[in-house]
Amino acid sequence: MIDLDLSQPPFTLLDEPGRERVRQGVDLAYFDRDEIILEAGQPGEYVFLIHKGEVAEIDTTQPAARERIGHYTQGDLFGAISILNGKSRYRFRAEQESLCYLMPKALFLELCDAYLPFAEFFRQSLAHKARLLTEQRAEGGVTMAGFMLAMVKECMREPLEVPAATTIAEAVVTINERHADSLLVKHSGRHGMITKTDLLNALVVDERGRDTPLEELGHAELITVTPEKYLFEALVIMTRHKVERVVVMDQHQPVGVVELTDVLSYFSSRSYVVSLQVEQADSLAALIAASKRTPELVSALMAQGVKLRFSMGLLAALNGRIINKAWGFVIDERYHADSCLMVMGSEGRGEQILKTDQDNGLILADDLEWPDCAEQMQGLTETLVKLGYPLCPGNIMVSNPEWVGTVSQWKQRIARWAEARDGDSLMRLAIMLDSHAMAGNPALLDRVRDDLFARCSGNDLLLSYFARIILRFSTPLTLFGSLKRPQHGIDIKKGGIFPIVHGVRVMALERGIRPTSTLERLEALAADGRLEPRFAEDLAEALALFTELRLKQQLARREGEEEGEQHSTDRVVVQELSSLERDLLREALHIVKDFKQRLSHRFHLEYS
Amino acid sequence: MLKMLRRVADQRRHANGEYAWLFRPYTGDEMVVIDTETTGLDTRSAELVSIAAVRVRGDHVLTSESLDLRLRRPDSLTGDSIRIHGLRGMDLDNGESIDSALARLLDFVGNRPIVGWHLGFDLAILNRELRPRFGFELPNATVDVAQLWRRRLRRRHPEIDSLPRFESAAERLGVPVMGRNTALGDAVTTALMFLRLERTVAAGS
Repeated sequence: MIDLDLSQPPFTLLDEPGRERVRQGVDLAYFDRDEIILEAGQPGEYVFLIHKGEVAEIDTTQPAARERIGHYTQGDLFGAISILNGKSRYRFRAEQESLCYLMPKALFLELCDAYLPFAEFFRQSLAHKARLLTEQRAEGGVTMAGFMLAMVKECMREPLEVPAATTIAEAVVTINERHADSLLVKHSGRHGMITKTDLLNALVVDERGRDTPLEELGHAELITVTPEKYLFEALVIMTRHKVERVVVMDQHQPVGVVELTDVLSYFSSRSYVVSLQVEQADSLAALIAASKRTPELVSALMAQGVKLRFSMGLLAALNGRIINKAWGFVIDERYHADSCLMVMGSEGRGEQILKTDQDNGLILADDLEWPDCAEQMQGLTETLVKLGYPLCPGNIMVSNPEWVGTVSQWKQRIARWAEARDGDSLMRLAIMLDSHAMAGNPALLDRVRDDLFARCSGNDLLLSYFARIILRFSTPLTLFGSLKRPQHGIDIKKGGIFPIVHGVRVMALERGIRPTSTLERLEALAADGRLEPRFAEDLAEALALFTELRLKQQLARREGEEEGEQHSTDRVVVQELSSLERDLLREALHIVKDFKQRLSHRFHLEYS
Repeated sequence: MLKMLRRVADQRRHANGEYAWLFRPYTGDEMVVIDTETTGLDTRSAELVSIAAVRVRGDHVLTSESLDLRLRRPDSLTGDSIRIHGLRGMDLDNGESIDSALARLLDFVGNRPIVGWHLGFDLAILNRELRPRFGFELPNATVDVAQLWRRRLRRRHPEIDSLPRFESAAERLGVPVMGRNTALGDAVTTALMFLRLERTVAAGS
């Protein structure tokens, strides 16, 4: 018939005579809102092709909150599986008044017989959907491979506690008897840790006697986790703090120790291998080799279905260690205490998964004299390029003197930007808000950020200017369903990621919330009462979804690049998504829209 | 009244002819929606360019059982009407003769009730062509969707008294306009509007 669009799969798998048979053979039918088009258990008589409207696929065996398993809109097709299976497993209900083309069963089966790829299409999407469904059922939406779900408490050892008066000799005996690597020492009400290495150093390096009590040995602050954390998070913490064990604390009492070697037995995947390589790299060449392998790690984590939040955490920690080591190799050690390398943008927020452009700056102590600073920074930038971080097109890098300065210079810059309030200044403020110390002395950055918050948090006019940027891009909800070509895809970076990240950033500035990651900011805003916990959670989920969709495109592009293809990674073509993904994307965009309205209201953007 | 007398006379004359079955009362559950494209708006002079008909059964518009006829180029085909229906002289090069087109239409419609948008206009032209060739006019029961819609509007908005427009009616009924100004497209759109109107009446709203 006239308006029947057969330019999409599966109809592209037919030839022109086949499509003509479809055009000649379909009827039209109208369905009212809430009308059941196809009941569960009913034999399939037609393939339905939606011309206009929306149809929900409902699993009647599920509780109401989870019953909707699919969503079909203009151009979508349903009912084919019901014909192939003999009857419909699910109920199809019109969500809006819907106009559908009806392809009779006989015609559909004829086409399946005549065109093998056409028949194949329906079998494939059945398997695809089934997999989605099992994943959803298995974890209520959380997709994590089994081993990723291991908790700290499943992998911890008994803590080996000894009194502070125990001597080194006694400690060694105890350690050997218990096959342990470390001891917990209770010393004036606090716990400290003594490792085998500590004992060795005390005896050999410091030439202490065998009878020295443990309380005389200094011990570092304990790195702790709670028993309910995922083992994965413990690994992230160890990577971040460069330690090989963490103490499990439950209500201020040590209840166990997690050893790196134990975690290793859980994670035989390459994820740990890469972080180990980074840690062990003793030359730039070794570090470059390790750094090259991080994309592999991302692909592996994605393939294993690790939840994005955890992948992000691991990758942020790993990127941090890589940059930190690069700093160590390139910059003279005598300057380390008086300078601070900060990373900004998605790196600063810890939301960078694949390596993106360098966004970094340098803060120097006010009285530092560093004659060849510019040369060393140039060297650092070049080293980072070798490590796989491309140059920043906006030149926000330590090799640019504008992004290097003493603490006082930085404070002056911030004052100037806050005063000017023009687009460029607001962008620079946003960049500084996401800055995170990566190497050197983090106290320098803290001083600059203290000043930033003190100057800007209470400045309502500035906040309003700052917030207005979120209205720059409209939420691409109305385009839904009518998109056919890639160049018209939904820009998830502008339409989804940016409004959430920036909106949350503005609110964090307003409330003086220090963390830089969007997820942590959201948690803090919920704790602060600024956002309802439920809404904060929704925003976090929406962000995760956008990031995941984008990451998938980026990974696909990496593969495509090897074959010489080029795609934009920010645009998602709705038609290429499964109905389930499409449904999720739609809901996520609604949340963004809602969020923008709240911000407009709060910062009075509707009048400007 | 005159129409009825004519129909009775037609029926009597054709009681034993080829088309006698057209005059029998219809007992099935189908209707036929028709639409024509013509060279003008004057029912006395406008000539047919295309005729379309589509069956409606229950809730379904049977687009798979439709008729889409293009006629041979009429003499009065001018730029003005081409602008509306988009059928140029050359598009009608292989058009059917009006005799065979009307015969196919009669076969397709049979004695089913006929539905259309401003049906009077289409019927006037069709009947004008039918009478000299077949000796009768279409005896079928008719439903004018434009009138149904107007009645509905009046009941809800008594203050409005303008002629209902096709596009605005479709929009307010939530019906997508399919292939506007092609005979088959308009026929399908009209069929959908008819179903919507029937449904909402049945639902008591």
